[in-house]
Amino acid sequence: MDPDKTHYVTKPTKRTVFMRTFLPWQAWRFAVINMKMIGMIRLSHRAQHPK
Amino acid sequence: MVLGAGVAGHTAASFARRWLDRGDSVTVVSPKPDYNWVPSNIWVGVGLLKPEKVTFALAPVYERAGIEFVQAAAREFHPEGDGEDRTPYVTAENANGKRSKIPYDFLINATGPALRFDKTEGLGPDGGHSLSVCQPAHAAQAAAALDDEVERMRRGEKRRFLVGMGHGTCTCEGAAFEYIVNLEFELRHRGVRDRAELTWITNEYELGDFGMGGMQLRGGGYVTPSSIYSASLFAERRIDWITRAHVSRVEPDRVLYETLDGLQGEQGFDFAMLLPPFSGVGLQAFDRGGAEITERLFLPNGFMRVDADYSPRPYEQWKAADWPRTYQSPEYRNVFAAGIAFAPPHAISVPRKSPNGTVIAPAPPRTGMPSAMIGKAVARSVVDMIAGADAPTRTASMAEMGAACIASAGANPFKGTAVSMTVFPIVPDFERYPEHGRDPAGTFGEIGLAGHWIKIMLHHMFLYKARLRPGWRWIPE
Ligand SMILES: Cc1cc2nc3c(=O)[nH]c(=O)nc-3n(C[C@H](O)[C@H](O)[C@H](O)COP(=O)(O)OP(=O)(O)OC[C@H]3O[C@@H](n4cnc5c(N)ncnc54)[C@H](O)[C@@H]3O)c2cc1C
Repeated sequence: MDPDKTHYVTKPTKRTVFMRTFLPWQAWRFAVINMKMIGMIRLSHRAQHPK
Repeated sequence: MVLGAGVAGHTAASFARRWLDRGDSVTVVSPKPDYNWVPSNIWVGVGLLKPEKVTFALAPVYERAGIEFVQAAAREFHPEGDGEDRTPYVTAENANGKRSKIPYDFLINATGPALRFDKTEGLGPDGGHSLSVCQPAHAAQAAAALDDEVERMRRGEKRRFLVGMGHGTCTCEGAAFEYIVNLEFELRHRGVRDRAELTWITNEYELGDFGMGGMQLRGGGYVTPSSIYSASLFAERRIDWITRAHVSRVEPDRVLYETLDGLQGEQGFDFAMLLPPFSGVGLQAFDRGGAEITERLFLPNGFMRVDADYSPRPYEQWKAADWPRTYQSPEYRNVFAAGIAFAPPHAISVPRKSPNGTVIAPAPPRTGMPSAMIGKAVARSVVDMIAGADAPTRTASMAEMGAACIASAGANPFKGTAVSMTVFPIVPDFERYPEHGRDPAGTFGEIGLAGHWIKIMLHHMFLYKARLRPGWRWIPE
């Protein structure tokens, strides 16, 4: 892979990569993401309002 | 009558059956005996699931629910009937080539896409040189080819993998994106990552466009475009990329492509998974006298005209309001389209052409959540019209609804990750949200193991829902 290409790209720190699979943190994120998704589903279902 | 038993059609038929009286009938016409939960085909394509885990037989489910199932492909619409009888009907062809006339009072066309491998020479698993994951059988073929590649790498060979879009007008970039990151994860898991070179080839102007003009995500004091996150993930996983490309030919060991600046390039591969462009499934329509009226019901790309504004206009004049709301045919009040089968009024990403006139821009995606929501809204409108309403009662505009999506980035209960995303609305509305076209509060993205757990949960939940098991209707679309 061309190093010039990757040099200018944002890369995650070790901590960020670690947190992506760190179980306690991910259990919390599981709850948060579910709430965000449910919020989005609710909002979108409102788009089916009667004309 | 519902044509197609995919995400949109199956949802529409299930809700219509639930809401209609027993005296009314619901008939599904679809050529395949099985339902396929398409998003999980990605995991079939990397060998983690067998096709049986993403499909189930429709006939027993429909029998239990009281839905009539005709296993056949619709070919012709006769919305005015014919000389003998004015009852509208559809002509459908079964696997033996036998045609039959099936009458209807209301019709929902949810036939999804035709996979147009023929648009690029040498593209596709049937007679071409590339693989696909659009159907379970294709995905199983890709998994078998991957096993062969892994064996060769275990023997010390270096192998080149190419994944992405097989034509300049493809859509569904998200699916191919999921495939390449799952592939990379699987190669690592099987201990051969160092011998593999992975390249992403796409018609997107920038990475992370996904046919929806990308997303702008808030965080860390910045509003950051999805291109930054996508490039970051690729760099982290050592996946190279070629953007703004139209694949013009697939040969046994290389693709030839043209880029937006008009240059010709080539990329070698040992394993290529390239998605085809989509069109409508090629339905024809005829009036009562037998004269063809296909162009009145369908656009030239085969997708069905609905209540959208199809007047050709430059990109700067595109509006969220151009997008359909009720999905009713402007020609026949008892005909609707849902899911991929309806014709979008225009793309979402900026349309672009190379100096040679080649269109290199993603077509607009219609993912699972909007397809199902449109199917449900159309079913409700039809049920209300049967009960006496003179016009559709429900709307489900992609410019007024958001989408929640989980893109798998590697499947493992402890080490896997997935990108969880929400956008609102799907089609940007620059009148309502002048800066980026979308509500920054409703647009979110995050990668992590939690996303993978949600993806697994959705796989089981949506298959449970599609099997119409107790409480299915409480599971949201
Ligand atoms: C590999 C892959 C991964 C994906 N991953 C995701 C994801 O993670 N999240 C997401 O939201 N979306 C995802 N999508 C997109 C999602 O699958 C589609 O949005 C969805 O399937 C569209 O639903 P549909 O009912 O319009 O079409 P389909 O689901 O394709 O259904 C079409 C139906 O029509 C039938 N049919 C075809 N021709 C005829 C005919 N002539 N007569 C009658 N019936 C006919 C077909 O057999 C099928 O039953 C993915 C797509 C692919 C290919």
